[in-house]
Amino acid sequence: MLKIENLTKIYKNGEIEVKALKGISFEIKKGEMVAIMGPSGSGKSTLMHLLGCLDRPTSGKYYLKGNDVAGLGDDQLADIRNNYIGFVFQQFNLLSRTSILHNVEVPLIYAGVKKNKRRKIATEMLEKVGLGHRLKHYPNEISGGQKQRVAIARALVNNPALILADEPTGNLDTKTEEEIMRVFRDLNEQGHTIILVTHEDSVAEHAQRIIYLVDGEIRRDEVIA
Amino acid sequence: MLLETIKIAIRSLWSNKMRTLLSMLGIIIGVGAVIAVIAIASGTQEQVTSRIADLGSNLITINKGTTRGYFGRLSTTAEEVFTLELGEAIEEFCPSVTRVIPKSQASGYFIMGDNNIQASVIGTTVEYQNANKYYPEKGKFFSQYDLDNASNVIVLGSELVDELYGDVNPIGSKITFYYNKHTFIFNIIGVMEEKERGITGDFNSSAYIPITTYLNMISNSRYIGSFIAQAASADEAGQAVEQIEYMLTKHFGGDEEFSLMSQDELLDTITEVTGSMKLMLSGIAAISLLVGGIGIMNIMLVSVTERTREIGIRKALGAKRRNILSQFLIESLTLSSLGGIVGVIIGWLGAFGVAQIGGWPLIISVPTVVLAFSFSLLVGVFFGIYPAIKAAKLDPVIALSYE
Ligand SMILES: Nc1ncnc2c1ncn2[C@@H]1O[C@H](COP(=O)(O)OP(=O)(O)OP(=O)(O)O)[C@@H](O)[C@H]1O
Ligand SMILES: [Mg+2]
Repeated sequence: MLKIENLTKIYKNGEIEVKALKGISFEIKKGEMVAIMGPSGSGKSTLMHLLGCLDRPTSGKYYLKGNDVAGLGDDQLADIRNNYIGFVFQQFNLLSRTSILHNVEVPLIYAGVKKNKRRKIATEMLEKVGLGHRLKHYPNEISGGQKQRVAIARALVNNPALILADEPTGNLDTKTEEEIMRVFRDLNEQGHTIILVTHEDSVAEHAQRIIYLVDGEIRRDEVIA
Repeated sequence: MLLETIKIAIRSLWSNKMRTLLSMLGIIIGVGAVIAVIAIASGTQEQVTSRIADLGSNLITINKGTTRGYFGRLSTTAEEVFTLELGEAIEEFCPSVTRVIPKSQASGYFIMGDNNIQASVIGTTVEYQNANKYYPEKGKFFSQYDLDNASNVIVLGSELVDELYGDVNPIGSKITFYYNKHTFIFNIIGVMEEKERGITGDFNSSAYIPITTYLNMISNSRYIGSFIAQAASADEAGQAVEQIEYMLTKHFGGDEEFSLMSQDELLDTITEVTGSMKLMLSGIAAISLLVGGIGIMNIMLVSVTERTREIGIRKALGAKRRNILSQFLIESLTLSSLGGIVGVIIGWLGAFGVAQIGGWPLIISVPTVVLAFSFSLLVGVFFGIYPAIKAAKLDPVIALSYE
């Protein structure tokens, strides 16, 4: 499904260099659900950006579905994000000035799907996450848990190979966290590949595998029961 | 997709009504000014032109020439050049000229009891009426007999009568004209109808006497101020001008003693004047459009900064550079075209209002509207492209983490 080899990321701010990732390698198979854990500043978000093709590594290889994507141009990366990757963010990152239905339609717009079809797929997706009755609402009119459901629906709408979630429950209470994790689990059981970053053991234990990062390196990579 | 983007743009503009209005103001003023200015200039031009046409496009005024002053010499007006005989000669030898009417003019004071008013006495012939399409309302104009005998008669313009007599009928009474330290007394035989003020002078506040009387009493010489030559038709006016010019140049041995002015020339001058007026005011309007464009650029830059996170989200969801570019470009285009539309409406209303007050026709040409509107679109593209490129080039990771 995806494979990274010796991935590094160095941020340069003038004279100061920050080595956020210091040569990371692993492989993730189709249908896996992996949790990435580690202390603050260990490079989890940086890794997610690279896996999500939002950013390019300083060095190393990244194969997504067999394709080398490390050296692609901006527009090609945009295509890959659109076709293969669904993002769920801690801050939800919904477009505040449009309805939640439109929010879910956005990836389809960039994929060039026609309006009627778009509307149909987005509606189905929102129904799947239990928000079929809120299509016309705006993001500021729904709760945090519901926002994250919208974000998940939006991540799923292009039927991506990979779902990346950076602390998806970081802004939610325990009860809502549990609900959202159930959604991820259901998705995983339906065959979706999911990588999520978390600080919470309660979240990580939903995964089958946990990768611990410390200071830009993999400290542990373990499969749990 | 395009429609969606326009909808999103309008929604985001709508949610910031005040800011949108302010940023459109320059465009609104610019486009409105172009429309109003061109319409007002066209309207006045139309009005003036039609008035000149009313005067008769076959009339040619022959005036005394002025020599330019130079090297300390003062500019001088040629004197003692036109005589009644010269007028007759022009009429005889210029085939395109049907008649030549002498016209001399003196400005003085009419005195009537305790009232007095400054006005002109015009000495001319009977044909003055037909040439100017200007006739008496009460009484009569002076006759050929009056001309031949240099009778002491006068016909008053309507405004003179209003000012000096009010509702009293002046016909049959006498009026005193004070000019050059002399007083002259005339018998009033008629009152002229009212005639719109033309560019050749104010008919209504003048009085008319036979040219012979004028020469005998007022100027006390045999020289005449000017001639009005009437061409056979408007089409022949140009030829008539050439013939008169040729003849007078020969007669005087040069062209310094006289100057010719035809209605055609007058029209050309007016078209030229209003043309350059339009050009100048349109220049001002263009500057205002430019300023409007800078306003749009400013607001678009603010908008890009404010929506950095939105741009990041869109990029994460698969938006390419050109998607973001077109989104912001469409937004600035929406802004400028809305401004353009409002400007067209306001300019239209303004031109309409001014035309109502000025009493001229409302002339708004489609090309003007199209031009002004497309110029506003151009401004939208030109000043929107930089902010749009800036948005499109944003790095998705940085944009996503923007607070
Ligand atoms: N744009 C950047 N420029 C410079 N340094 C950066 C940049 N982004 C991240 N870093 C640095 O890279 C390192 C890794 O950051 P990253 O955000 O990946 O950590 P993280 O594991 O996600 O932390 P957290 O748990 O707090 O989210 C940190 O030292 C951070 O300061
Ligand atoms: Mg992080």
